[in-house]
Amino acid sequence: MNISRRTVLFGATALSGLLAMDLGGSPASAADDPKTLRLPLARPAGNLDPQRYVGIFAIQDMIFDPLVQYTRGGKIEPALAESWTISEDHKVYTFKLRPDVVFTDGEPWNAEAMKWNLERWMPKADYNWLQVSANLDKIEVIDPMTVAIHFKQVTPTALIEFSYVRPVRFLSPKAVEADGSYKSPIGTGAWKVDSDTPEGTDLVTNEKYWGVKPTLDKVSLVVIPDARSRMSALLAGDIDAAGGAFIAAISPQDATTLKSGGITIVTDTGTDTMILGFNPRRELFKDIRVREAFNLLIDREAICAALMKGYATPTMNLYPDVIAYSGKRFDIPKRDVERAKKLLDEAGWVGEGTRSKDGKPLNVELVISEDAVANSRALGEVLQAEFSEAGIGLTLRNVDHAARHGDIPQFKYDISLFITNGAPYDPYNTIGLMILSSIEPGTDGKLWEDPVVDPLIVKALSASEAERAEAFQAVSTWLHDNWAMAPLYHAQRVWAHGDRIKAFVVPATEYEMPIKGISL
Amino acid sequence: MKAIKDLYKAVGLPICLLIGFFIFIAVFGKYVSPYDPNAQNLLKASQTFSAEHWFGTDNLGRDTLSRLVAGARTTLFGVTLVLLMAGSVGMVIGTISGYFGGWLDEILMRIIDFGLSVPSLVVALAIVGVFGPDFWNMILALAIAWVPIYARLTRGVVAAAVNQPYIESLRVLGASRTRIIVKHLTPAALGSVLIYASADAGVLALNIANLSFLGLGVQPPQAEWGQMLVAALPYLEEAPRLVILPGLSLTIMVIGFNLLGEAIALAKNPRPMSKRRLFQRRREFLKEIAA
Repeated sequence: MNISRRTVLFGATALSGLLAMDLGGSPASAADDPKTLRLPLARPAGNLDPQRYVGIFAIQDMIFDPLVQYTRGGKIEPALAESWTISEDHKVYTFKLRPDVVFTDGEPWNAEAMKWNLERWMPKADYNWLQVSANLDKIEVIDPMTVAIHFKQVTPTALIEFSYVRPVRFLSPKAVEADGSYKSPIGTGAWKVDSDTPEGTDLVTNEKYWGVKPTLDKVSLVVIPDARSRMSALLAGDIDAAGGAFIAAISPQDATTLKSGGITIVTDTGTDTMILGFNPRRELFKDIRVREAFNLLIDREAICAALMKGYATPTMNLYPDVIAYSGKRFDIPKRDVERAKKLLDEAGWVGEGTRSKDGKPLNVELVISEDAVANSRALGEVLQAEFSEAGIGLTLRNVDHAARHGDIPQFKYDISLFITNGAPYDPYNTIGLMILSSIEPGTDGKLWEDPVVDPLIVKALSASEAERAEAFQAVSTWLHDNWAMAPLYHAQRVWAHGDRIKAFVVPATEYEMPIKGISL
Repeated sequence: MKAIKDLYKAVGLPICLLIGFFIFIAVFGKYVSPYDPNAQNLLKASQTFSAEHWFGTDNLGRDTLSRLVAGARTTLFGVTLVLLMAGSVGMVIGTISGYFGGWLDEILMRIIDFGLSVPSLVVALAIVGVFGPDFWNMILALAIAWVPIYARLTRGVVAAAVNQPYIESLRVLGASRTRIIVKHLTPAALGSVLIYASADAGVLALNIANLSFLGLGVQPPQAEWGQMLVAALPYLEEAPRLVILPGLSLTIMVIGFNLLGEAIALAKNPRPMSKRRLFQRRREFLKEIAA
């Protein structure tokens, strides 16, 4: 057949027209439904198995309930456990289970279901970052609605840990294959999965839910990987809100742009801390004067104002004040190049241009990863300029998420940017996993290591309630006085929503969807 | 001097001015740019056009004009290095292959063909991936990726020249192999290589920007257009000039080099179709569409 150029052109035009019509048509139907909330996801929901670290936290949180619920400020409230008692020695936790709760497949929630779930992950090596798994002695079923968990040693973090999303949530014992492997997302939560595809996930209300039923009928989650496209979708009204660090993050710059576009920006005090961490195994950073010098070279105020557009507060603390036992606030030192230079001179790093010691130049590599720590490239460039003023040569090594998760635990970096775990994990997790040197470094690596601070951390982690504040303060003071790391700022938690949403409440943690308190 | 005059005649004033302008700011950029391109001032970040900062400042408060000028230097320096490296290595391989012929030619050309069959940018990406992102690694990677093009080009010219009567007579007169290659074959190939390189410079400038855009080339704080583009993307709505200016600079440079290459090629090897004939063809084509 003879195809002329004109035929091809005509065909291509017609085809693109057809495609455009299809694109324009689909989202309209959801917008008409007054009880459907449409939110974006940066990536597909993934495998929602509550015992695996794959799916999106916030979706798992919608489907699967915890024993106890973490609420704002670290308060623990009943959920699948109606009440609990803690033995005198803090080693036995007895949970009275909530009656008349069923999984969405009709399976009853009882002691058997609880035991079956817990045995899927505790005590197993992969989950031993949780004290409840590492310290487990035995799970005892007292009666069909009462379970006692015995620990080998004092485990004051047990309640907080039972509020986490994974691996501690509860799956229906019937939602597995014959060999016990995960089959489908069946929980007791307020929502159940209606459809789940790589393009998005729809959830509908669970009519058998035990708690206060949501006012919405449906939550439609659409996968929009590109931040710019999410912004356009929000501005166009194709989605109702966006935000959440692990859902569809909004950068301070995006927030500024959206605000000028008439979108409402809702912020909340952040629960985590951006930290410039020194590699504790590098000889260079074993000198406290070097660490102090690095700290003094950073202009935290300017970074918060210019780079974070005011969506962050400068800090010298490990934890923001919304975290329990975060302790007293430390003063933020003014940027002091002269003092930093003097400290480096004293430490033996001297010379014009890039300093050197014993013929070795003071070149430091900052590992950044735009997909693991958003905004880290611009932050890196600022630090580069600020450090160079005192004769420190800083090179940036930009790596992807996977490479960062490989290099950081293996200490293949000089300095890097870290973010503390935040609510609900802190104050326990960051010092327990990222500083305590007896624990193998996880994917987040180590912020600092020192045998001197280890006993202080152990004491804080196992302190009884009366002693806890003081024990945590001891750790925090030690870290501060030893310039163990360079805390930069507490970023605010940012959500943006359009006109369809009448009331909006930022969820208690970054691992939840903003459904409670929302009204359309 | 005559060569320059010829070149000017062939290329014309506008293109000469354009390329000359880029070369001027690349060489003397340090003296003409108003600020240090890497000097940050976070308190003056994201400012728009003003008398103080003609093209405004970027997200870290650096002067955009100074960074554009520094970017021209980085790009032209990179392009020159890559062309020198790829051109010289390519010419050596091409000359050997073309002069000696036979099995050596076969083997070398199959290797070169393999190199040509893979897109140059993909080769460069792979090499940078192995050695790690860095300015010099990028130069090396692009040079390796560009060698086959120049080897093939040189080989063609040399293989054609080798059988010309004047080379035959040089052989008969007892000229040494080195003399024939250096004095007679290389100059013949050099002409073609230079013409090709002048047009290729634009493609290379684009590739340097590409690699830097992906974070695999020029590393911060060194200013480079591709890198300026990627750093400015989040500010597309608030400050589109941060994206437009480096993009425009790159476009103008690439077009400039393309026009230069085309003009030189046209002067050296005039095409049979005249401008009048071209317009005639165009009219015919339009009529055909209308019908």
